[in-house]
Amino acid sequence: MDTAFRKINVDLFDEEALLPSELYDPDPRAAAQVLADTREKSGAVRGSLSRGDIAGALEVVLDQAPYGEGVDEAKALNLSSVLLILNSTKTSDIPSLVKHLTQQQQDTLMKYLYKGMAQQGDHADVNGSVMLGWHERLTEVAGIGCIVRVMTDRRTV
Amino acid sequence: MSVPEVFPLSVGPITGHAFNADRSQVCVSLNTNEAQVMAYDGTGWKTTETLSEHDKLITSIDWAPNSNRIVTCSQDRNAYVWTQVPDPQTGVVTWKPTLVLLRINRAATFVRWSPHEDKFAVASGARAIAVCSFDEENNWWVSRLLKKPIRSTVLSIDWHPNNVLLAAGSADQKARVFSAFIKDVDKRPGPTVWGDKLPFNTVCGEWASPNGGWVHSVAFSPSGDAMAFVSHDSSISVVYPAGPGLITIKTTILPYVTLAWTSEGSLVTAGHDCQPHVFQGSENGWAMVGSLDSSKGSHRHTGQRNQIEAFNRFRQADSRGSQSEEDTELLPTVHQNTITSVRAFDGTPEQVIRVSTTGVDGKLVLWDANAVAPVAGLTGKMGGLRM
Repeated sequence: MDTAFRKINVDLFDEEALLPSELYDPDPRAAAQVLADTREKSGAVRGSLSRGDIAGALEVVLDQAPYGEGVDEAKALNLSSVLLILNSTKTSDIPSLVKHLTQQQQDTLMKYLYKGMAQQGDHADVNGSVMLGWHERLTEVAGIGCIVRVMTDRRTV
Repeated sequence: MSVPEVFPLSVGPITGHAFNADRSQVCVSLNTNEAQVMAYDGTGWKTTETLSEHDKLITSIDWAPNSNRIVTCSQDRNAYVWTQVPDPQTGVVTWKPTLVLLRINRAATFVRWSPHEDKFAVASGARAIAVCSFDEENNWWVSRLLKKPIRSTVLSIDWHPNNVLLAAGSADQKARVFSAFIKDVDKRPGPTVWGDKLPFNTVCGEWASPNGGWVHSVAFSPSGDAMAFVSHDSSISVVYPAGPGLITIKTTILPYVTLAWTSEGSLVTAGHDCQPHVFQGSENGWAMVGSLDSSKGSHRHTGQRNQIEAFNRFRQADSRGSQSEEDTELLPTVHQNTITSVRAFDGTPEQVIRVSTTGVDGKLVLWDANAVAPVAGLTGKMGGLRM
Protein backbone atom coordinates (compact mmCIF):
# COMPACT_ATOMS: atom_id res chain seq x y z
CA MET A 1 0.00 0.00 0.00
CA ASP A 2 1.20 3.46 -0.77
CA THR A 3 1.98 5.23 2.50
CA ALA A 4 3.77 8.26 1.08
CA PHE A 5 0.71 10.36 1.81
CA ARG A 6 1.45 10.03 5.49
CA LYS A 7 4.54 12.17 5.03
CA ILE A 8 2.63 15.05 3.50
CA ASN A 9 2.80 18.16 5.63
CA VAL A 10 -0.91 18.88 5.82
CA ASP A 11 -0.31 22.24 7.47
CA LEU A 12 0.95 23.52 4.10
CA PHE A 13 -2.54 23.08 2.69
CA ASP A 14 -4.32 24.64 5.64
CA GLU A 15 -4.40 28.38 5.22
CA GLU A 16 -5.50 28.85 8.80
CA ALA A 17 -2.79 26.68 10.35
CA LEU A 18 -1.19 28.36 13.32
CA LEU A 19 2.59 28.14 12.92
CA PRO A 20 4.93 28.07 15.92
CA SER A 21 6.64 31.24 14.67
CA GLU A 22 3.35 33.13 14.86
CA LEU A 23 3.15 32.64 18.60
CA TYR A 24 5.82 35.20 19.44
CA ASP A 25 7.10 38.52 18.20
CA PRO A 26 10.18 37.92 16.05
CA ASP A 27 13.52 39.45 16.93
CA PRO A 28 13.61 42.86 15.22
CA ARG A 29 17.27 42.31 14.34
CA ALA A 30 18.29 40.50 11.17
CA ALA A 31 19.85 37.06 11.56
CA ALA A 32 23.31 38.32 10.52
CA GLN A 33 23.04 41.19 12.98
CA VAL A 34 22.08 38.77 15.77
CA LEU A 35 25.16 36.67 15.02
CA ALA A 36 27.44 39.71 14.96
CA ASP A 37 25.98 40.96 18.27
CA THR A 38 26.41 37.55 19.84
CA ARG A 39 30.05 37.32 18.68
CA GLU A 40 30.70 40.71 20.18
CA LYS A 41 29.04 39.66 23.44
CA SER A 42 31.06 36.47 23.51
CA GLY A 43 34.22 38.56 23.42
CA ALA A 44 32.90 40.89 26.12
CA VAL A 45 32.08 37.89 28.32
CA ARG A 46 35.62 36.57 28.05
CA GLY A 47 36.92 40.02 28.91
CA SER A 48 34.68 40.31 31.97
CA LEU A 49 35.57 36.83 33.15
CA SER A 50 39.30 37.53 32.91
CA ARG A 51 38.69 40.53 35.18
CA GLY A 52 36.66 38.30 37.52
CA ASP A 53 33.47 40.28 36.84
CA ILE A 54 30.98 37.44 36.71
CA ALA A 55 27.90 39.59 37.40
CA GLY A 56 28.81 41.82 34.47
CA ALA A 57 29.39 38.84 32.19
CA LEU A 58 26.01 37.33 33.11
CA GLU A 59 24.26 40.60 32.42
CA VAL A 60 25.83 40.90 28.98
CA VAL A 61 25.05 37.35 27.94
CA LEU A 62 21.45 37.29 29.18
CA ASP A 63 20.37 40.56 27.60
CA GLN A 64 19.00 40.24 24.07
CA ALA A 65 19.76 36.54 23.91
CA PRO A 66 19.18 35.19 20.39
CA TYR A 67 15.83 33.45 19.93
CA GLY A 68 13.56 32.30 17.14
CA GLU A 69 14.31 30.63 13.83
CA GLY A 70 17.37 30.89 11.58
CA VAL A 71 19.85 31.93 14.24
CA ASP A 72 21.14 28.52 15.29
CA GLU A 73 24.78 29.54 15.09
CA ALA A 74 24.22 32.54 17.34
CA LYS A 75 22.22 30.39 19.74
CA ALA A 76 25.02 27.83 20.04
CA LEU A 77 27.60 30.58 20.52
CA ASN A 78 25.58 32.26 23.26
CA LEU A 79 25.03 28.92 25.00
CA SER A 80 28.80 28.40 25.06
CA SER A 81 29.25 31.85 26.59
CA VAL A 82 26.66 31.08 29.26
CA LEU A 83 28.24 27.72 30.05
CA LEU A 84 31.64 29.38 30.34
CA ILE A 85 30.23 31.73 32.97
CA LEU A 86 28.36 29.01 34.85
CA ASN A 87 31.42 26.78 35.01
CA SER A 88 33.76 29.51 36.23
CA THR A 89 31.57 30.64 39.14
CA LYS A 90 32.23 29.58 42.72
CA THR A 91 29.24 27.76 44.23
CA SER A 92 29.11 30.18 47.14
CA ASP A 93 28.72 33.15 44.79
CA ILE A 94 25.66 31.81 42.98
CA PRO A 95 22.91 32.94 45.41
CA SER A 96 23.90 36.60 45.35
CA LEU A 97 24.43 36.53 41.58
CA VAL A 98 20.94 35.20 40.79
CA LYS A 99 19.36 37.52 43.33
CA HIS A 100 20.69 40.58 41.51
CA LEU A 101 19.37 39.60 38.10
CA THR A 102 16.16 41.18 36.81
CA GLN A 103 13.14 38.90 36.36
CA GLN A 104 13.69 38.95 32.63
CA GLN A 105 17.30 37.85 33.08
CA GLN A 106 16.30 35.15 35.57
CA ASP A 107 13.84 33.72 33.05
CA THR A 108 16.50 33.73 30.34
CA LEU A 109 19.07 32.11 32.61
CA MET A 110 16.58 29.36 33.44
CA LYS A 111 16.07 28.77 29.71
CA TYR A 112 19.83 28.25 29.31
CA LEU A 113 19.95 25.92 32.30
CA TYR A 114 17.30 23.69 30.73
CA LYS A 115 18.94 23.90 27.33
CA GLY A 116 22.27 22.97 28.90
CA MET A 117 20.81 20.05 30.79
CA ALA A 118 19.13 18.83 27.61
CA GLN A 119 22.52 18.75 25.88
CA GLN A 120 24.41 16.93 28.58
CA GLY A 121 26.64 14.39 26.91
CA ASP A 122 26.56 16.16 23.55
CA HIS A 123 28.21 19.28 24.79
CA ALA A 124 31.62 19.01 26.45
CA ASP A 125 31.09 22.07 28.63
CA VAL A 126 27.93 20.85 30.32
CA ASN A 127 28.54 19.69 33.84
CA GLY A 128 25.42 18.17 35.44
CA SER A 129 26.21 19.08 39.01
CA VAL A 130 27.04 22.69 38.10
CA MET A 131 23.73 22.94 36.23
CA LEU A 132 21.74 21.51 39.13
CA GLY A 133 23.50 23.78 41.59
CA TRP A 134 22.54 26.87 39.60
CA HIS A 135 19.04 25.50 39.04
CA GLU A 136 18.45 25.01 42.75
CA ARG A 137 19.67 28.49 43.68
CA LEU A 138 17.74 30.14 40.87
CA THR A 139 14.51 28.31 41.79
CA GLU A 140 14.90 29.46 45.40
CA VAL A 141 14.93 33.06 44.24
CA ALA A 142 12.64 33.07 41.19
CA GLY A 143 10.26 30.28 42.24
CA ILE A 144 8.61 27.69 40.05
CA GLY A 145 6.91 30.53 38.20
CA CYS A 146 10.27 30.96 36.48
CA ILE A 147 10.29 27.31 35.37
CA VAL A 148 6.71 27.60 34.13
CA ARG A 149 7.74 30.61 32.04
CA VAL A 150 10.56 28.63 30.44
CA MET A 151 8.10 25.91 29.43
CA THR A 152 5.55 28.42 28.20
CA ASP A 153 7.75 30.85 26.34
CA ARG A 154 7.96 30.14 22.60
CA ARG A 155 11.00 32.37 22.25
CA THR A 156 13.39 29.48 22.76
CA VAL A 157 17.04 30.27 23.13
CA MET B 1 -16.25 36.33 59.08
CA SER B 2 -12.87 35.42 57.87
CA VAL B 3 -13.32 31.65 58.01
CA PRO B 4 -14.19 30.43 54.52
CA GLU B 5 -17.35 28.38 54.16
CA VAL B 6 -16.51 25.07 52.52
CA PHE B 7 -19.09 22.88 50.78
CA PRO B 8 -17.87 19.59 49.33
CA LEU B 9 -20.25 19.02 46.41
CA SER B 10 -18.62 16.02 44.76
CA VAL B 11 -15.53 13.84 44.69
CA GLY B 12 -14.74 14.74 41.11
CA PRO B 13 -14.13 18.10 39.48
CA ILE B 14 -16.68 20.91 39.24
CA THR B 15 -16.48 22.27 35.71
CA GLY B 16 -18.49 25.44 36.28
CA HIS B 17 -20.71 27.16 38.78
CA ALA B 18 -23.22 30.00 38.76
CA PHE B 19 -25.46 31.34 41.52
CA ASN B 20 -28.95 32.78 41.09
CA ALA B 21 -29.77 36.40 41.95
CA ASP B 22 -30.41 35.95 45.70
CA ARG B 23 -27.66 33.31 46.04
CA SER B 24 -30.11 30.73 47.42
CA GLN B 25 -29.46 28.34 44.54
CA VAL B 26 -26.41 27.33 42.57
CA CYS B 27 -26.13 25.60 39.22
CA VAL B 28 -23.06 23.39 38.87
CA SER B 29 -21.78 20.78 36.49
CA LEU B 30 -19.93 17.94 38.15
CA ASN B 31 -17.77 17.01 35.16
CA THR B 32 -20.67 15.33 33.34
CA ASN B 33 -23.12 16.13 30.55
CA GLU B 34 -25.69 17.19 33.16
CA ALA B 35 -25.98 20.32 35.25
CA GLN B 36 -27.40 20.26 38.78
CA VAL B 37 -29.50 23.03 40.27
CA MET B 38 -28.85 22.94 44.00
CA ALA B 39 -30.55 24.73 46.88
CA TYR B 40 -29.18 25.35 50.37
CA ASP B 41 -31.20 23.54 53.03
CA GLY B 42 -29.39 24.82 56.11
CA THR B 43 -26.82 22.05 56.22
CA GLY B 44 -25.63 21.69 52.68
CA TRP B 45 -26.42 22.09 49.00
CA LYS B 46 -29.02 19.55 47.81
CA THR B 47 -29.87 18.89 44.18
CA THR B 48 -33.39 20.08 43.39
CA GLU B 49 -33.32 19.56 39.66
CA THR B 50 -31.03 18.08 37.04
CA LEU B 51 -30.66 19.77 33.68
CA SER B 52 -29.97 17.02 31.18
CA GLU B 53 -30.04 17.79 27.49
CA HIS B 54 -26.37 17.97 26.50
CA ASP B 55 -24.66 14.90 25.01
CA LYS B 56 -21.16 15.73 26.18
CA LEU B 57 -19.37 17.41 29.05
CA ILE B 58 -20.78 20.77 30.09
CA THR B 59 -17.93 23.28 30.02
CA SER B 60 -19.50 26.43 31.39
CA ILE B 61 -22.65 27.74 33.07
CA ASP B 62 -24.05 31.21 33.65
CA TRP B 63 -27.19 32.33 35.46
CA ALA B 64 -28.78 35.67 34.49
CA PRO B 65 -29.78 37.35 37.77
CA ASN B 66 -32.66 39.54 36.58
CA SER B 67 -34.34 37.40 33.93
CA ASN B 68 -33.63 34.20 35.92
CA ARG B 69 -32.40 32.20 32.94
CA ILE B 70 -29.56 29.69 32.89
CA VAL B 71 -27.33 29.19 29.89
CA THR B 72 -25.11 26.13 29.56
CA CYS B 73 -22.60 25.23 26.87
CA SER B 74 -20.89 21.97 26.18
CA GLN B 75 -18.34 20.01 24.21
CA ASP B 76 -21.24 18.78 22.06
CA ARG B 77 -21.02 22.23 20.32
CA ASN B 78 -24.41 23.30 21.62
CA ALA B 79 -25.71 25.81 24.09
CA TYR B 80 -29.09 25.71 25.83
CA VAL B 81 -31.00 28.51 27.46
CA TRP B 82 -33.02 27.19 30.39
CA THR B 83 -36.17 28.95 31.61
CA GLN B 84 -38.54 28.05 34.43
CA VAL B 85 -41.99 27.25 33.09
CA PRO B 86 -45.00 25.54 34.70
CA ASP B 87 -45.88 22.14 33.30
CA PRO B 88 -49.19 22.42 31.36
CA GLN B 89 -50.66 19.32 33.05
CA THR B 90 -49.41 19.35 36.62
CA GLY B 91 -48.50 23.02 37.05
CA VAL B 92 -45.13 22.07 38.54
CA VAL B 93 -42.46 24.63 37.65
CA THR B 94 -39.49 23.05 35.91
CA TRP B 95 -36.47 24.19 33.89
CA LYS B 96 -37.08 23.83 30.16
CA PRO B 97 -34.26 23.98 27.59
CA THR B 98 -34.18 25.98 24.35
CA LEU B 99 -31.53 24.99 21.83
CA VAL B 100 -29.32 27.78 20.51
CA LEU B 101 -27.96 27.54 16.96
CA LEU B 102 -24.32 28.34 17.57
CA ARG B 103 -22.98 27.38 14.12
CA ILE B 104 -19.61 26.25 15.47
CA ASN B 105 -17.82 23.02 14.55
CA ARG B 106 -15.77 22.57 17.71
CA ALA B 107 -16.52 22.37 21.43
CA ALA B 108 -18.01 25.37 23.19
CA THR B 109 -15.70 26.34 26.03
CA PHE B 110 -17.13 29.27 27.93
CA VAL B 111 -20.42 31.19 28.17
CA ARG B 112 -21.47 34.48 29.79
CA TRP B 113 -24.68 36.56 29.75
CA SER B 114 -24.26 40.20 28.80
CA PRO B 115 -25.00 42.74 31.58
CA HIS B 116 -28.44 43.58 30.10
CA GLU B 117 -29.17 39.85 29.66
CA ASP B 118 -30.42 40.33 26.10
CA LYS B 119 -27.33 38.65 24.61
CA PHE B 120 -24.82 36.05 25.60
CA ALA B 121 -21.48 35.05 24.16
CA VAL B 122 -20.14 31.53 23.72
CA ALA B 123 -16.40 30.94 23.30
CA SER B 124 -15.35 27.92 21.32
CA GLY B 125 -12.57 25.80 19.92
CA ALA B 126 -13.69 26.78 16.40
CA ARG B 127 -11.53 29.94 16.61
CA ALA B 128 -14.69 31.92 17.06
CA ILE B 129 -16.98 33.50 19.59
CA ALA B 130 -20.71 33.12 19.00
CA VAL B 131 -22.62 36.22 20.09
CA CYS B 132 -26.25 35.17 20.54
CA SER B 133 -29.35 37.31 20.65
CA PHE B 134 -33.04 36.46 20.67
CA ASP B 135 -34.93 36.75 17.39
CA GLU B 136 -38.53 37.61 18.36
CA GLU B 137 -39.90 36.99 14.88
CA ASN B 138 -38.78 33.39 14.67
CA ASN B 139 -38.81 32.79 18.42
CA TRP B 140 -35.27 31.43 18.61
CA TRP B 141 -31.75 32.40 19.59
CA VAL B 142 -29.52 33.31 16.67
CA SER B 143 -25.78 33.70 16.73
CA ARG B 144 -23.29 35.89 14.93
CA LEU B 145 -19.67 34.81 14.92
CA LEU B 146 -16.68 36.91 15.94
CA LYS B 147 -13.87 35.29 13.97
CA LYS B 148 -11.07 37.61 13.01
CA PRO B 149 -8.29 37.65 14.09
CA ILE B 150 -8.67 34.70 16.47
CA ARG B 151 -6.13 31.99 15.65
CA SER B 152 -6.93 29.34 18.23
CA THR B 153 -9.40 28.14 20.86
CA VAL B 154 -11.05 30.91 22.87
CA LEU B 155 -10.79 30.00 26.55
CA SER B 156 -12.66 32.76 28.34
CA ILE B 157 -14.74 35.85 27.75
CA ASP B 158 -16.09 38.77 29.77
CA TRP B 159 -18.61 41.49 28.97
CA HIS B 160 -17.97 45.21 29.37
CA PRO B 161 -20.62 46.95 31.52
CA ASN B 162 -21.83 48.82 28.39
CA ASN B 163 -23.25 45.54 26.98
CA VAL B 164 -21.32 45.95 23.71
CA LEU B 165 -17.63 45.28 24.26
CA LEU B 166 -16.39 41.77 24.86
CA ALA B 167 -13.00 40.67 26.18
CA ALA B 168 -11.67 37.30 25.09
CA GLY B 169 -8.65 35.27 26.15
CA SER B 170 -7.39 32.69 23.74
CA ALA B 171 -4.93 29.82 23.33
CA ASP B 172 -3.11 31.82 20.64
CA GLN B 173 -1.60 33.68 23.62
CA LYS B 174 -3.56 36.90 23.10
CA ALA B 175 -6.16 38.76 25.10
CA ARG B 176 -8.41 40.86 22.88
CA VAL B 177 -11.26 43.31 23.18
CA PHE B 178 -13.98 43.05 20.52
CA SER B 179 -17.13 44.90 19.74
CA ALA B 180 -20.15 42.59 19.91
CA PHE B 181 -22.57 45.31 18.80
CA ILE B 182 -25.81 43.91 17.39
CA LYS B 183 -27.96 46.41 15.58
CA ASP B 184 -31.39 45.10 16.54
CA VAL B 185 -30.54 44.70 20.22
CA ASP B 186 -28.12 47.44 21.20
CA LYS B 187 -28.40 51.16 21.22
CA ARG B 188 -25.36 52.93 19.86
CA PRO B 189 -22.89 52.94 22.78
CA GLY B 190 -21.18 56.08 23.98
CA PRO B 191 -17.43 56.46 23.50
CA THR B 192 -15.25 54.36 25.82
CA VAL B 193 -11.55 54.21 26.49
CA TRP B 194 -11.48 51.24 24.11
CA GLY B 195 -12.77 53.21 21.13
CA ASP B 196 -15.81 55.18 19.95
CA LYS B 197 -16.85 53.66 16.62
CA LEU B 198 -17.83 50.10 17.32
CA PRO B 199 -19.43 48.07 14.51
CA PHE B 200 -19.60 44.30 15.05
CA ASN B 201 -16.20 42.53 15.15
CA THR B 202 -14.16 45.72 15.63
CA VAL B 203 -10.94 44.69 17.35
CA CYS B 204 -10.30 47.37 19.95
CA GLY B 205 -7.00 45.94 21.09
CA GLU B 206 -4.80 42.92 21.37
CA TRP B 207 -2.36 42.19 24.19
CA ALA B 208 -0.04 39.39 25.24
CA SER B 209 2.08 38.90 28.31
CA PRO B 210 5.84 39.06 27.64
CA ASN B 211 6.42 35.31 27.98
CA GLY B 212 3.27 34.31 26.13
CA GLY B 213 1.18 31.37 27.24
CA TRP B 214 -2.51 30.58 26.92
CA VAL B 215 -4.71 33.35 28.25
CA HIS B 216 -6.85 31.44 30.73
CA SER B 217 -9.12 34.17 31.98
CA VAL B 218 -10.05 37.77 31.20
CA ALA B 219 -12.18 40.30 33.05
CA PHE B 220 -13.14 43.96 32.77
CA SER B 221 -12.88 46.12 35.87
CA PRO B 222 -16.22 47.29 37.37
CA SER B 223 -15.99 50.61 35.46
CA GLY B 224 -14.94 48.84 32.27
CA ASP B 225 -11.95 51.15 31.86
CA ALA B 226 -9.40 48.43 32.59
CA MET B 227 -9.09 44.77 31.72
CA ALA B 228 -7.11 42.08 33.50
CA PHE B 229 -5.98 38.71 32.22
CA VAL B 230 -4.03 35.76 33.57
CA SER B 231 -1.89 33.60 31.34
CA HIS B 232 0.01 30.36 31.57
CA ASP B 233 3.39 32.00 32.14
CA SER B 234 2.42 32.47 35.81
CA SER B 235 1.68 36.11 35.23
CA ILE B 236 -1.19 38.51 35.62
CA SER B 237 -1.58 41.55 33.39
CA VAL B 238 -3.78 44.62 33.68
CA VAL B 239 -4.47 46.79 30.63
CA TYR B 240 -5.24 50.51 30.89
CA PRO B 241 -5.81 51.61 27.28
CA ALA B 242 -6.17 55.25 28.28
CA GLY B 243 -3.20 55.22 30.62
CA PRO B 244 0.04 53.28 30.82
CA GLY B 245 -1.12 50.37 28.67
CA LEU B 246 -0.03 46.92 29.82
CA ILE B 247 1.12 46.25 33.38
CA THR B 248 2.41 42.69 33.92
CA ILE B 249 3.32 41.01 37.18
CA LYS B 250 5.28 37.77 36.95
CA THR B 251 4.72 35.58 39.98
CA THR B 252 6.95 32.93 41.53
CA ILE B 253 4.21 30.29 41.67
CA LEU B 254 2.19 28.02 39.40
CA PRO B 255 -0.09 29.73 36.84
CA TYR B 256 -3.47 31.22 37.65
CA VAL B 257 -6.44 30.10 35.56
CA THR B 258 -9.24 32.36 36.76
CA LEU B 259 -9.77 35.85 38.09
CA ALA B 260 -12.49 38.21 39.32
CA TRP B 261 -12.42 41.91 40.13
CA THR B 262 -13.57 42.81 43.65
CA SER B 263 -13.34 46.60 43.24
CA GLU B 264 -11.83 49.08 40.82
CA GLY B 265 -8.47 48.61 42.52
CA SER B 266 -8.40 44.97 43.55
CA LEU B 267 -8.90 41.54 42.09
CA VAL B 268 -8.81 37.91 43.15
CA THR B 269 -6.93 35.30 41.13
CA ALA B 270 -6.76 31.54 41.62
CA GLY B 271 -5.45 28.53 39.80
CA HIS B 272 -2.92 25.74 40.03
CA ASP B 273 -1.59 27.03 43.35
CA CYS B 274 -4.93 25.97 44.93
CA GLN B 275 -5.52 29.22 46.80
CA PRO B 276 -7.08 32.58 45.90
CA HIS B 277 -4.59 35.45 45.84
CA VAL B 278 -5.45 39.13 46.08
CA PHE B 279 -3.83 41.79 43.92
CA GLN B 280 -4.27 45.51 44.44
CA GLY B 281 -3.21 48.47 42.40
CA SER B 282 -4.08 51.25 40.03
CA GLU B 283 -2.75 52.76 36.84
CA ASN B 284 0.46 53.40 38.73
CA GLY B 285 1.19 49.73 39.31
CA TRP B 286 -0.11 46.50 40.74
CA ALA B 287 1.19 44.14 43.43
CA MET B 288 0.14 40.98 45.19
CA VAL B 289 -1.05 41.73 48.72
CA GLY B 290 -1.76 38.24 49.99
CA SER B 291 -3.99 35.22 50.02
CA LEU B 292 -7.59 34.70 51.10
CA ASP B 293 -6.52 31.29 52.38
CA SER B 294 -5.13 31.75 55.88
CA SER B 295 -4.87 27.99 56.57
CA LYS B 296 -1.82 27.01 58.56
CA GLY B 297 1.06 26.46 56.20
CA SER B 298 -0.72 27.68 53.10
CA HIS B 299 2.05 30.22 52.64
CA ARG B 300 4.42 27.34 52.06
CA HIS B 301 3.63 26.98 48.41
CA THR B 302 4.79 24.12 46.28
CA GLY B 303 8.27 24.39 44.96
CA GLN B 304 9.77 25.69 48.19
CA ARG B 305 10.87 22.21 49.11
CA ASN B 306 14.59 22.13 48.53
CA GLN B 307 16.78 19.54 46.92
CA ILE B 308 18.01 17.92 50.16
CA GLU B 309 14.46 17.56 51.47
CA ALA B 310 13.32 15.94 48.26
CA PHE B 311 16.36 13.66 48.25
CA ASN B 312 15.68 12.53 51.82
CA ARG B 313 12.07 11.77 51.04
CA PHE B 314 12.97 9.59 48.10
CA ARG B 315 15.71 7.84 50.09
CA GLN B 316 13.29 7.13 52.90
CA ALA B 317 10.66 5.81 50.53
CA ASP B 318 13.32 3.63 48.92
CA SER B 319 15.05 2.21 52.03
CA ARG B 320 12.03 1.76 54.28
CA GLY B 321 9.45 1.23 51.61
CA SER B 322 7.31 3.60 53.59
CA GLN B 323 5.98 7.02 52.90
CA SER B 324 6.52 9.75 55.41
CA GLU B 325 3.53 11.31 57.09
CA GLU B 326 3.86 14.33 54.92
CA ASP B 327 3.15 12.32 51.80
CA THR B 328 -0.27 11.21 52.92
CA GLU B 329 -1.11 14.56 54.40
CA LEU B 330 -3.57 16.80 52.63
CA LEU B 331 -2.48 20.03 51.03
CA PRO B 332 -2.26 22.85 53.54
CA THR B 333 -4.77 24.87 51.53
CA VAL B 334 -8.58 24.78 51.71
CA HIS B 335 -8.90 23.67 48.10
CA GLN B 336 -7.16 20.37 47.51
CA ASN B 337 -6.68 20.85 43.79
CA THR B 338 -6.64 23.50 41.07
CA ILE B 339 -9.26 26.21 41.42
CA THR B 340 -10.91 26.62 38.03
CA SER B 341 -13.48 29.32 38.70
CA VAL B 342 -13.70 32.35 40.97
CA ARG B 343 -16.78 34.59 40.87
CA ALA B 344 -18.21 37.48 42.87
CA PHE B 345 -20.76 36.20 45.41
CA ASP B 346 -22.26 39.24 47.14
CA GLY B 347 -21.81 42.98 47.42
CA THR B 348 -21.76 45.24 44.39
CA PRO B 349 -19.33 45.01 41.46
CA GLU B 350 -17.54 48.05 42.90
CA GLN B 351 -17.29 46.50 46.37
CA VAL B 352 -17.51 42.73 46.38
CA ILE B 353 -17.91 41.31 49.89
CA ARG B 354 -17.50 37.60 49.22
CA VAL B 355 -16.25 35.51 46.31
CA SER B 356 -17.06 31.90 45.49
CA THR B 357 -14.58 29.40 44.10
CA THR B 358 -14.90 25.91 42.67
CA GLY B 359 -12.24 23.58 41.42
CA VAL B 360 -11.02 20.17 40.47
CA ASP B 361 -11.36 18.95 44.07
CA GLY B 362 -15.18 19.20 43.92
CA LYS B 363 -15.42 21.87 46.61
CA LEU B 364 -17.46 25.07 46.56
CA VAL B 365 -15.93 27.64 48.89
CA LEU B 366 -17.16 31.09 49.91
CA TRP B 367 -14.43 33.54 50.94
CA ASP B 368 -14.50 36.94 52.58
CA ALA B 369 -12.94 39.02 49.80
CA ASN B 370 -11.42 41.45 52.27
CA ALA B 371 -9.85 39.01 54.74
CA VAL B 372 -6.42 39.03 53.13
CA ALA B 373 -3.70 37.07 54.86
CA PRO B 374 -0.14 38.04 53.97
CA VAL B 375 1.79 35.37 52.10
CA ALA B 376 5.21 34.87 53.63
CA GLY B 377 7.99 34.72 51.11
CA LEU B 378 5.75 35.88 48.32
CA THR B 379 4.64 39.38 49.16
CA GLY B 380 8.08 40.27 50.43
CA LYS B 381 9.55 39.60 47.03
CA MET B 382 6.66 41.15 45.16
CA GLY B 383 7.08 44.33 47.19
CA GLY B 384 10.35 45.10 45.49
CA LEU B 385 8.94 44.56 42.03
CA ARG B 386 9.47 47.18 39.40
CA MET B 387 6.49 47.74 37.21
